[in-house]
Amino acid sequence: MSASGSKSVPSIGFLTVQEFTDIGLIGGYLILNAVGRPLEFHCTAPVHPNRAQEILYGPTLAPFLYGEQIGQTLVAKGKSRPMFVCTDVEPVLSAREFVSVPIVLINESAAEPNDSLRLHSAHSTPPTPKSKQLVTFQLASQQAAINEAHAHDRDKVVEQWQPHTEAMDLLEPFSRLREAIDEAQRGAART
Amino acid sequence: MTQSGFTNQRDSSTIETAAFDLSIPVSIFATGWGAAINRIQRFDVVTTDLSAESPKTISLQLRRPAVKTFSYTFPELPEWQTERSGKGGLATKKPRPKINKDERRTRLKPPTDIVKLEDRLYYMLQPPLETILSSDSMRMPFEPFPYQYQGIAFLYPRFAAILADEMGLGKTMQAITSMRLLLRAGELRNILLICPKPLVSNWKNEFTMWAPEIPLCIIEGDQTRRQWQWHHQAAPLKIANYELLMRDRDIVLDSGLNFDLVVLDEAQRIKNRSSTTSQITRAISRSRSWALTGTPVENSSEDLVGIFEFLSPGYLQSGMTARRMAKAAGDYILRRTKDKVLTDLPPKLYRDAELDLTPDQWCSYKSAEEDGVIKLEGLGEELTIQHVFELVLRLKQICNFDPATGASSKLERLEADLEEVVASGRKAIVFSQWVGVLDKIRDRLSRFGILEYHGKIPHKKREGVIKQFKEDPSKHVILMSYGAGSVGLNLQFCRYVFLFDRWWNPAVEDQAINRAHRIGAAGSVTVNRMLTLGTIEERINQVLEEKRALFDAILSQTDTPRSLGLTQDEVFGLFDLKSRRVDQRRAA
Repeated sequence: MSASGSKSVPSIGFLTVQEFTDIGLIGGYLILNAVGRPLEFHCTAPVHPNRAQEILYGPTLAPFLYGEQIGQTLVAKGKSRPMFVCTDVEPVLSAREFVSVPIVLINESAAEPNDSLRLHSAHSTPPTPKSKQLVTFQLASQQAAINEAHAHDRDKVVEQWQPHTEAMDLLEPFSRLREAIDEAQRGAART
Repeated sequence: MTQSGFTNQRDSSTIETAAFDLSIPVSIFATGWGAAINRIQRFDVVTTDLSAESPKTISLQLRRPAVKTFSYTFPELPEWQTERSGKGGLATKKPRPKINKDERRTRLKPPTDIVKLEDRLYYMLQPPLETILSSDSMRMPFEPFPYQYQGIAFLYPRFAAILADEMGLGKTMQAITSMRLLLRAGELRNILLICPKPLVSNWKNEFTMWAPEIPLCIIEGDQTRRQWQWHHQAAPLKIANYELLMRDRDIVLDSGLNFDLVVLDEAQRIKNRSSTTSQITRAISRSRSWALTGTPVENSSEDLVGIFEFLSPGYLQSGMTARRMAKAAGDYILRRTKDKVLTDLPPKLYRDAELDLTPDQWCSYKSAEEDGVIKLEGLGEELTIQHVFELVLRLKQICNFDPATGASSKLERLEADLEEVVASGRKAIVFSQWVGVLDKIRDRLSRFGILEYHGKIPHKKREGVIKQFKEDPSKHVILMSYGAGSVGLNLQFCRYVFLFDRWWNPAVEDQAINRAHRIGAAGSVTVNRMLTLGTIEERINQVLEEKRALFDAILSQTDTPRSLGLTQDEVFGLFDLKSRRVDQRRAA
């Protein structure tokens, strides 16, 4: 079968990072069309920070690993350019510094609209200094947040998602993504 | 130095002066310093090494290392999968139902025999079925039950599968929806569905309901027409019946036909591997094989081996223990029962009518049995199971009607029960093994508004019979033979089922009962099983009950005896006879 030629199809990216004991972090990136059908899947090999990185990066280690290393790499791998990229892991937001596509933190928990101080990610990733610089907003039925430094992304994301608001639950694809990462990890472990 | 300037204060008139020589004698001597001062200065330089060892440094590489990635690009999407809702999307007549994030989600899971990571991811990353089926172009006439979504998720990724749900749980709908999804995903282009002839129209109707957009071609008519139909490319779905398959064997097997999927409905028909039907279906060129049956094990675990010869030849073998067989086949079979998944289905109430024969019947029965047994014993070494069967059938017929007078305790009871059924405005199905028995019932109970559905009713008229039974308020009773009416029909508007006589196999009885007790049943279904006491019927019933228990056992993956059939010894045992010939054929 031919590879997807659906670059013209409106698409959304979903990016998450899972932590595995012993092997480190594995990132997964799923690009869906606007009705939730998969177009592309990418995942990383395990990324494990060395001791020097742990010491020298200090509190910026998570944004470095999740955003700069994993997030940036995965977004660059995508053949389709999504309208925006959703993540459920807050440090991934820092990838926005390195990619041109908006990155949005999606969260199910209700947050006050003006509570720009903190949004907890779906995972227990330690909060980073970035978390104090989030701008939250409502994206269809989900709570969303973006880095304050890229606050201008908000209007663009809301406008682009408006025609598709009822077609997809923006949290659902993360369960697919996590299962796929688990499957890829199991497959790698077998080989 | 002279002291001329000093004045004596006491004597102001006289000023005396005195001169003092203040010169100090000075002698000059040579120090030698002048020469030293004029001499050019000379410096001595002393060099002291103050250099120290430079400190050692450690450089840490903090550049961003390349992260290895794995990528998978999905096959190109068919147009329908890229449809959008609302603004900028395809025109929609009805608003799309809003996705509720709390609603149940059923995901496709790859079977264990799919090992390639890309193939597994292809299924794992598909959206939940509820999402797919909520799209405008996939709208369903009714919301499927959760277990039906699971059934679709089971079939969709499988190249070999048995959907073995209990009758009435909607195997047809699950299979149709799975085919529909695969067709629309571009994974299937050419499907052959094979079913018993009486069910062809039922499948057609079900496709009209659940997948109206799929063009289908029913293979029928004369040979020239069928030849053309078999090779007709416009319809991706062909429906053929088992009987016709035998006639068109050469076309199906030798004319280059290939199917992406072959679905066998009532797949127990191929349980006998040596049968022509089994041989032909197994020889059809195909990529995927699905079997639909409510009774994958009718008589023995060998039945399952027979079906697997179609799905995956050699995967199951004769002689495997039931436990081993169940473990091996587990990923290929999905079976649910009503009591597990349809907790809100109206109850099925059994009301066994245990009747005494009328005096006339009893007289005929005793005479026939005694004469028959004597005759059997007299056959000596010539005795075969066929001789025993003949006697069994003879006695069963007497249990229904006395051959001389037509007396029937069953008919008397049936008449009384039907009075009540009709008076309450309900409808009933009456099953019998023999069309002749149904004829007698029809003649005697015609006032109840009786319709017939059995082997003597032409196929073309059968659909009309069912329609009339459903819609005509004056028709309260339909008489059915087990053979014609036990499978595929949806008669859930009936509240009463009468088994005038008993079939050899409990699975067939269950299928008959489940024509009424199925999804959509408006209320409880009362099953009246008629049984004459002290007769062959009572003895057969004991065997049937044991078989029913064994059937349940093998599908719950426990060890069971190898044969669940009515064995030769069991048949002889009905008359306390000993088999004298080794006849490997089973009675049922």
